[in-house]
Amino acid sequence: MGRLLKLREAHKTDAPATCSVLWAHDGSHLATSCASDTEVLIHDLSAPPPGRSGSNAGSSPVVLRHHKEGVTAIALGPMAGPLASGSFDHSVKLYNFPVGSFQGNVTRFTLPIKSLAFNKSGSLLAAAGDDDGIKLISTIDLTISRVLKGHRGSVTGLSFDPKHDYLASIDSFGTVIYWELSTGKQLHTLKSIAPNYNSDSSVLNTLSWRPDGEMLAVPGLRNDVVMYDRDTGEKLFNLRGDHEKSVCSFCWSPNGKYLATSGLDKQVLIWDVDLKQDIERQKFEERICGLSWKPVGNSLAVIDVVGRFGIWDNPVPVSMKSPTEGVVLNEPHPLFEDEDEEVLGKGISCYSGSLDDSIEKGSGDFSPISRKRVKKRGPSFDEGEEVLQEIDSRKRRKESENKRGDGGIRERAVRMQDAFQVGFTPPQQGKRRFLCYNLLGCVTSLENDGFSHVEVDFHDTGRGPRVPSMTDYFGFTMAALNEKGCVLANPCKGEKNMSTLMYRPFGSWANNSEWSMRFELEEVKVVALGKNWVAAVTSHNFLRIFTESGLQMHILSVNGPVVAAAGSGDLLAVVNHASDCLSSGDQVLEIKVFNINEATQTISGRLPLTPCSHLTWLGFSEDGRLGSFDSKGNLRVYSDQFGGSWLPVFSADKARKSEDENYWIVGFNATKLFCIVCKSPESYPSVMPKPVLTILEFSSPLASSDLGADEVENEFMMTNLQLSEIRKKIKDMEAFGLDVTALDDEAFSLEVKLDRCILKLIASCCHSDRLVRATELARLLSTQKSLKGAITIVTASKLPILQEKFSTILEERMLDDLKTPEPIPTGRSNGKTAYSVQPPVRLSPMMEKSPDLNNRTPNTIKPQIKSSPATETLKLVKARSSTPENLAQGEDISKERELGSKLEKLATFVKGKGNATSEVTGKDVSSSATGNVKPELKIPINPFARVKKVT
Amino acid sequence: MAGQTDHSLSIFSAAEVEFIAEDEMIEIVPNIRMDALNLLCGDFGPFLPQIPCTVPLWLAVALKKRGKCSIRTPDWMSVEKLTQVLEAERESPREFQPLPFHYVEISRLLLDHAHDDIPEVYMVRSLIEDIRNVRFHKVESGLETISGRTHAVKLKNLSAMEVNVVRPFMARVLQAFYKHDSPEMVQQADTSASKRPQVVDRGPRVSLSCVTC
Repeated sequence: MGRLLKLREAHKTDAPATCSVLWAHDGSHLATSCASDTEVLIHDLSAPPPGRSGSNAGSSPVVLRHHKEGVTAIALGPMAGPLASGSFDHSVKLYNFPVGSFQGNVTRFTLPIKSLAFNKSGSLLAAAGDDDGIKLISTIDLTISRVLKGHRGSVTGLSFDPKHDYLASIDSFGTVIYWELSTGKQLHTLKSIAPNYNSDSSVLNTLSWRPDGEMLAVPGLRNDVVMYDRDTGEKLFNLRGDHEKSVCSFCWSPNGKYLATSGLDKQVLIWDVDLKQDIERQKFEERICGLSWKPVGNSLAVIDVVGRFGIWDNPVPVSMKSPTEGVVLNEPHPLFEDEDEEVLGKGISCYSGSLDDSIEKGSGDFSPISRKRVKKRGPSFDEGEEVLQEIDSRKRRKESENKRGDGGIRERAVRMQDAFQVGFTPPQQGKRRFLCYNLLGCVTSLENDGFSHVEVDFHDTGRGPRVPSMTDYFGFTMAALNEKGCVLANPCKGEKNMSTLMYRPFGSWANNSEWSMRFELEEVKVVALGKNWVAAVTSHNFLRIFTESGLQMHILSVNGPVVAAAGSGDLLAVVNHASDCLSSGDQVLEIKVFNINEATQTISGRLPLTPCSHLTWLGFSEDGRLGSFDSKGNLRVYSDQFGGSWLPVFSADKARKSEDENYWIVGFNATKLFCIVCKSPESYPSVMPKPVLTILEFSSPLASSDLGADEVENEFMMTNLQLSEIRKKIKDMEAFGLDVTALDDEAFSLEVKLDRCILKLIASCCHSDRLVRATELARLLSTQKSLKGAITIVTASKLPILQEKFSTILEERMLDDLKTPEPIPTGRSNGKTAYSVQPPVRLSPMMEKSPDLNNRTPNTIKPQIKSSPATETLKLVKARSSTPENLAQGEDISKERELGSKLEKLATFVKGKGNATSEVTGKDVSSSATGNVKPELKIPINPFARVKKVT
Repeated sequence: MAGQTDHSLSIFSAAEVEFIAEDEMIEIVPNIRMDALNLLCGDFGPFLPQIPCTVPLWLAVALKKRGKCSIRTPDWMSVEKLTQVLEAERESPREFQPLPFHYVEISRLLLDHAHDDIPEVYMVRSLIEDIRNVRFHKVESGLETISGRTHAVKLKNLSAMEVNVVRPFMARVLQAFYKHDSPEMVQQADTSASKRPQVVDRGPRVSLSCVTC
């Protein structure tokens, strides 16, 4: 719209001052105010004199002269709610709207008021200014329900969350605070995210929730508007474009699809928020400081700093969706009552917009009508059929709104995420950026006069080769790096610049061993690098694999558009879209892991993500485990447990120390995550200064249990996981006949660590009286020493029952040890010497499941443990007391009975070993158990038990 | 500059104080991969590129000289913190702001050897110099208030280098006062012939540039 909008003078000002404009909820009236004028004006637009072209030509406005000094802020309640005004005279007043009669003073401040806001239901009014604290005033009885203190400067903007959970406020320093309305606490404090106007009182910072409450718009520091997440306060995206100076005011369209912004550069821009694109603009003579969308229609009211206002019709081009489409109008009155006058009068342009859209197909026969109406304007047209049509169309509109209800969500939801290169940062004007950053080094690029300089740096300057920087005429945007070389690729830009893949080895015996490939009509999407191979996935869904010297080895097809790829050693992981996003906004991703050298596929399946998040990182740890990281900050690691599954091992929400930290992951190892911590507005690191890695411990997303020992429980989980990984590795290496002594040592030290952890858990179980769980934990202990430790713990906490139980377990364990020497020779005869090195370890139930471990000691472990006199003890114990634990053990016993003759044989074997067995039979049970075993066993037998049994 | 000029009076030379300060711990970011160092004073490392770890200052400087690490500037050495400290020092003429005991030596070592790791190095350098001057001035002006009846001086938050400079002088002054005071005290006791305990006669503790935190 090229023509200049005509503005009409409303307030007289000598100097530029902040002015505000508001629409009545039905679009019939406009309220304006000005900081250098004591009057508030209510312009009635419903009775425009005929012949005037703009709808901004109303009769003489209602003037409210109640303030003694300039009016700085006005706010309007929902429906025909009250109008509130705040002024330099420190008072807040309420008026009936649109009549304009004075209702009363709401509150007084000690300093000027700068901002006002009603919540969506109109029950609360927030007022703030230069005073220390935001006052929340209940509009029903005009009492102050809460004072929120926390801003250091004067509060210039307030906005209630439409869902009524939060209040957002901004001060003149540019600090935004999210307040929780139910508690009055500060949820997030985002410091200095908006321009600092502390020295310039003519500009007031504002902020505004999107009508659906999902995001908060705040003016940014780079002549943009930045959107922040509703709950986390994280930066979502920004609208940056043609504003040459800071944005000073903005307003969401009623449906939240468009945003009107005005800048200090005297421009007003209309944005399509979903496309993040400005769609319309208008330049004004003076800076526009107030904007307001018409609640019903495609018009925008603007007011400039000299107190002139105007109405911009059709700021959103008619070809696009109406700014009010999709709004659920909460109208208090039924359609047929008093709406004819109000709504029919003004709704013209809005209906034309929404009509065109709401009637899906045959909009042809409706458009003339709307055009006719545009020509007619105003309520002068005769009633009758027009009204009927109007009502009819409204009904249809409502229907289509309902239909669109779910569609709207889908539209808002995440799109299928684009392909990304692991470890890259988005380009920034004039700044160096990472093409690839991993634990080894980084590839950086700086664009300069049309071509870029690409540098390769290794973190370990002692070992990595020095790579000369190169000038890049292709415009590389993707890179992958390992010890031997780096691969670079660029997307195609237009027809001239084809997509190119280039590989640079860092050391080679031959000169000129750098190579490049060009792709016609095909675009490289992601690249990956491994041991002696280079992989690239292209827009044709081809996975191309080259050797290190540039030989084209394999071309495979990928199932869908690629998302990311990562390589390490022989393994290549490729993630692609399996289908379109779910309606809930979840990405549907699929992962495949290939072993390039063996030409096999090792993993294939869906890649799990946190709901509504997208993949941000994919990679292998140094020991070859695959991990994925999503935008909600969760790290998942692939494990062979349960037939191959992804275990969540880290959550940024839990680990985060302060709200404004973002974790940009670089890599992980068995127990830790390596990441770069970025302060909140930034979500990725910059090249200078050199980022420093932070190490974070893994933590499982455990439920909060009744033990109150979350850390120990977490350690227990993690150590168990680690142990199972190591056991798997031992098994793999044994299969190849390799030496596993070092790994065995590692496994042993892990077992010790696990035991320590279990002991702590037993202690906390004893504290909180979880005896069954304590017994179960005791069974998981792997060494006798720690079992004895456990007995000491329960003795100290005076739990004789547990003591008894643990002693029984220990007895079983010792008997088991007595027998273990037996199977070892058979193990040796198999030629697997490694077993002899291994300590006699009782396996936790989880371990026992793995088939190899059962094979290892084919007929020893489980059945024979209890085939000893200890079982008899158990039976007797069971007979005496019938607690549930004992019953549970009784099941085991019945199983053992089935083992029949085998057990008898073993019993004789044990008897043969024990020297005092023959005398034992008639004796007390507990002593019979001890009599069979070595004398040292007498030590742990607890005194309580004995006393109990004697009595 | 009572004691500052005459270094022969100090117990330690500046270099010696610096040597002591080198045992302070500091965070470095190595750019090499190296196993843990098992030293007499403790185990440090293992060193992994780009992952920060804490080592004694002497080790940090040694590694820095070989280009094996970058030193992370301590929190108190940021321009923001130093400006605050300087302001506070200027505002309170009788108090010293809490700074690390070896702040003079640490900042000197870092400015000498790791100036490329310090953001806004010139600003930091001049701020530290200012702070040092303000504090020395405070010490000196405080010394003037020592009178004949002073027997002890309480100084809080004084740093190693500052103490080192003034201690010998101060001790001698107090000693001298004490020596010259004693006959007078004896005389007093004779003339008044009172049996007051001597403690009362001992001068009050003058708190010179004293702090009560």
